[in-house]
Amino acid sequence: MPVDLDDSSTVSGDASVSSTGNQNPPPQSAAKKKRNLPGMPDPDSEVIALSPKTLMATNRFVCEICSKGFQRDQNLQLHRRGHNLPWKLRQRSSKEVRKKVYVCPVSGCVHHDPSRALGDLTGIKKHFCRKHGEKKFKCEKCSKSYAVQSDWKAHSKICGSKEYRCDCGTLFSRRDSFITHRAFCDVLAEESAKNHTQSKKLYPETVSESQLKSPAAVDSPPPSPPSVALVPEPAVSVETETEPQPANIVSSSVLPIRDSSDEPENNTLEVIMEEAPRTIGLNGSNDQSNNSKSVYAGLFASSSSSPSLYAASSTPSPSLFPPSSSMEPISLCLSTTGPSLFGATIQDPPQPHFLTPLLPPPQPAISATALLQKAAQMGSTGSGGSLLRGLGIVSTTSSPMELSSHDPGFGLGLGLPCSSGSGLKELMMGNSSVFDPKQTTLDFLGLGRAVGNNNPGGGGLSSALWGGGGGMDVFGSGELSDKDIGRSS
Amino acid sequence: MCHAKPQEERLVTHFSLNRTQMTRTRIISPTRFPSLKSQRCGSGGDASFMEQLLLHCATAIDSNDAALVHQLLWVLNNIASPDGDSSTQRLTSAFVRALLARAVSKIPTLFSTFGNTVFQPPADEIHRFSVVELAGFIDLTPWHRFGFIAANEAILTAVEGYAKVHIVDLSLTHCMQIPTLIDAIATKLNKPLLLKLTVVSSASNFPPFINISYEELGSKLVNFATSRNIEMQFTIIPSTYSDGFSSLLQHLRMYPTSYNEALVVNCHMMLRYIPDETLTPSSPSSLSLRNVFLNQLRSLNPTMVTLIEEDADLTSDNLVTRLSSAFNYFWIPFDTTDTFMSEQRRLYEAEISWKIENVVAKEGVERVERTETKGRWLERMRDNEFGGVRVREEAVSELKAMLGEHAVGWGMKKDDDDESLVLTWKGHSVVFATVWVPI
Repeated sequence: MPVDLDDSSTVSGDASVSSTGNQNPPPQSAAKKKRNLPGMPDPDSEVIALSPKTLMATNRFVCEICSKGFQRDQNLQLHRRGHNLPWKLRQRSSKEVRKKVYVCPVSGCVHHDPSRALGDLTGIKKHFCRKHGEKKFKCEKCSKSYAVQSDWKAHSKICGSKEYRCDCGTLFSRRDSFITHRAFCDVLAEESAKNHTQSKKLYPETVSESQLKSPAAVDSPPPSPPSVALVPEPAVSVETETEPQPANIVSSSVLPIRDSSDEPENNTLEVIMEEAPRTIGLNGSNDQSNNSKSVYAGLFASSSSSPSLYAASSTPSPSLFPPSSSMEPISLCLSTTGPSLFGATIQDPPQPHFLTPLLPPPQPAISATALLQKAAQMGSTGSGGSLLRGLGIVSTTSSPMELSSHDPGFGLGLGLPCSSGSGLKELMMGNSSVFDPKQTTLDFLGLGRAVGNNNPGGGGLSSALWGGGGGMDVFGSGELSDKDIGRSS
Repeated sequence: MCHAKPQEERLVTHFSLNRTQMTRTRIISPTRFPSLKSQRCGSGGDASFMEQLLLHCATAIDSNDAALVHQLLWVLNNIASPDGDSSTQRLTSAFVRALLARAVSKIPTLFSTFGNTVFQPPADEIHRFSVVELAGFIDLTPWHRFGFIAANEAILTAVEGYAKVHIVDLSLTHCMQIPTLIDAIATKLNKPLLLKLTVVSSASNFPPFINISYEELGSKLVNFATSRNIEMQFTIIPSTYSDGFSSLLQHLRMYPTSYNEALVVNCHMMLRYIPDETLTPSSPSSLSLRNVFLNQLRSLNPTMVTLIEEDADLTSDNLVTRLSSAFNYFWIPFDTTDTFMSEQRRLYEAEISWKIENVVAKEGVERVERTETKGRWLERMRDNEFGGVRVREEAVSELKAMLGEHAVGWGMKKDDDDESLVLTWKGHSVVFATVWVPI
């Protein structure tokens, strides 16, 4: 059964291979045949375009005796031996075979373009199936479905095999995503503050014994508290307009603080610890012992001027740096996508502890700027719509246009410089442009005939481009002329 | 051009475009067919076709041909919808918007035509991620995780035995690499006594944007490190890419590393913002801020420098060349969003569109996205007396395992000629990861 090859040509005909990738395909050496990477075909290879039917066909080689189908001719030949039929195994041809690459038949697909053809028949089959085929294989455990059976099998092996769950409820299949999330998740921040003194396990999956027993975890004060050092410079503040007030104040108030190269933390620790219970109550609850030198205590690694840190605050309460647990919800409010963003079940963040006595009154919650931002995000339509309005699209008369055969005599009158090797004219001619010169002039883009020399060819441009392209809606064409549209240079 | 013309299935298909603003003429084509109704463009080889139109439009803009620009943009807008089904369309649409921005700023007469078209939200309206959101976002594809894994592996090896570890994180991703690094350090047998993390404050002029300050970000990281029993110090240096991070370098010089301290500078898609020779063409190459940065970095004698960047050349002064390079690179991120949910895809494409607009519509110091190819970066590093180091095999296996859990098109390759690891999408180079030590 002959293979249904419909079209073949050289890759490097028109489309330039070099424009696709940022490097050239590896050279083919005689001794060791290097695999060309998928999607970066050898410029000299032959492009094969198979029809969808051919691609999806399995078992094209059929035994004449028992009608058993095989995917490869070699297999059929071996089978024929069993019927005592004459068989011949094709040897690898001694002469250099021109390499074949395959394109996807679906126009608009990335691999439809010869410069992005795939070198492997199986590869293009799988691609076609995956991208354009029906997803018949469904995973039992999750909602994913696959068009290619091997993909489905590969997924089933790993689906649900490992799961990491953050305390906030989100599930992760990869450990590194889990860790990254955990580092920034609010639930962790609260828990660690609460549990720090009890040296409780924070990591449900793996906590080594040594961590629990290590002195750093158990002992409280001095041994190396964490610290955040703000290097003083004239302009430390980097906040944007959505930043709540206190942060700005923080920056300016640490200006006079000089960072010393030896460890300042131990000196300041006591100072800050005194303040801690007053200022930064992470959970709002009163179980903040002095051991909550937690993160926020170490936040401002400053020396003697730490009292000034708080004195400089203009908010009624000394806390200049609301804990992130209260910050986070604000930011989540600002984000319009909210918890549904990643499809994961991110629970709503715990209620901000604004109302506890230890914390300052909430900021003028969401600033006007942020509200405007949110409104803008919600209100903005697809960009296409406004783009159209901006382009001044006007309606046209709806005279149906007949396709006539390509008249090579027509210059589209654009007279574009063809510096890039394929001028716009050729581009459009090449697509069997069709236009009817007798069409009445239409108002195109609001540029009526009366306006200078702008117009008529333009209408032709559009129809010429799309006359050949199946079933496109286009504007009716304006009158065509041979002369240039008349560019104002 | 080569087109596939299968004999069967010559359907005649009508398209209707959702343009309520316009009345259109329907055209029936007997000659071409598209195999799927959802395809808008009939002709094959769409991508190169669209590219040609974009390039012509670019040429027209720079030749001040207002009429032609207007027409081309109109046509392009017709054929490339921002919500189109094919990634090629959405990619082209992003370029159309960028060209529109350029046209309006270069050709004043067009401004009145297009008026106050809001075709792209201005930078400060782009989505601001919460850190948790960003953490999820950067793991949607291996784009960043690839570099994270490779760099962290190398860093772990480099800091072995040092009592203090100082990481300078120059990263586009606002420290998203750090939690896994902290976690890895925490599980080592000989933990360092102190982990110092230094970042710069200017990493907020390009996407992704976050909605908290670096102080807050740092405090979360410190908190996390504490929970893993690592003492950590977080420092923010106000320093900007536009002067080659000179204040950062100055700070590092002022507080040199002690004998038992490892200094690691992790450059993750940030160095591309430092002005290169194309921004100051009259100066000799040695004076470009990019080279100056590397030179001064070298003189700090760091224990290790990791360099992860996108492998593309977006620096050309010639708009047409630049646009072509950009088109032939940014199709990749648009193509990878198949598995995304619609909201994720919208956000992701908005980020890429920001970059496209910067590359196409901006000039001079405003054009910050000056990505260079791997080859060029390797040259720079070697010129500044850095030697490349191969990443361990364990890292390679980890990378492959990670890639296996993402969509099928992701792959990686190791170059035999240098020590780089390259992330690929359908065979095309996406991101390269390299590790350097002073020589």
